[in-house]
Amino acid sequence: MIQSIVRPEKVHEVMKALLDAGFPAVTKMDVFGRGKQRGLKVGEITYDELPKEQLLVVVADADKDLAVETVLKSARTGDKGTFGDGKIFISKVEETWTVSSGTKDA
Amino acid sequence: MKQITAIIRMNMMNVTKQALIDAGFPAFTVRKVLGRGKGNVDYRVIHGAEAGAPEAIARLKDDGPMLIPKRMMNLVVPDEAVPKLIETIIRVNRTGKRGDGKIFVLPIEEAIRVRTNERGAAALA
Repeated sequence: MIQSIVRPEKVHEVMKALLDAGFPAVTKMDVFGRGKQRGLKVGEITYDELPKEQLLVVVADADKDLAVETVLKSARTGDKGTFGDGKIFISKVEETWTVSSGTKDA
Repeated sequence: MKQITAIIRMNMMNVTKQALIDAGFPAFTVRKVLGRGKGNVDYRVIHGAEAGAPEAIARLKDDGPMLIPKRMMNLVVPDEAVPKLIETIIRVNRTGKRGDGKIFVLPIEEAIRVRTNERGAAALA
């Protein structure tokens, strides 16, 4: 399972890129958080609950690198990226079941 | 310990909650999510395309499937409870049509109850 936390304004682009790369199935949710930079400081005020979008994609092991690469490429702002572009976490999924057929996927 | 992440239909939430309590899984976390699966499921667009409307056909080829609201349910259970839990969720949520949802099983390293600082299986009991 690839959990990517990306900028809300980039989410459409990322999902389009995932679709084009052959990963149509995505779950998206709104999250709030802060990162290493301890939020955003604008003058006196610190914003440490920045809005982000979290995307969950479950892919086969062989497709992992392609999916990560797709998210990286589409979620980055500017050539070298910017603070706040997001993070990608990858965790193991042991089993996947499809409810409509009631069967375990390979 | 395993984490079960089930993505199910919004309107199945109440029956699923009841079924999980009856099966002995009272504890879970739920949130509203948006998602898409393998299929294109905007029925208005599909019907429009079937009727031969050019805008609908163009939409079908354009942005991909639209996002559908779903419920995502997270439960952490001991290993031996996993088959029963999966069976319960599938039995209640299965209509046989596309969009019934997916269930993922992920390994969990540790569970800690904040109130008592219990670890592992004791935290789940």
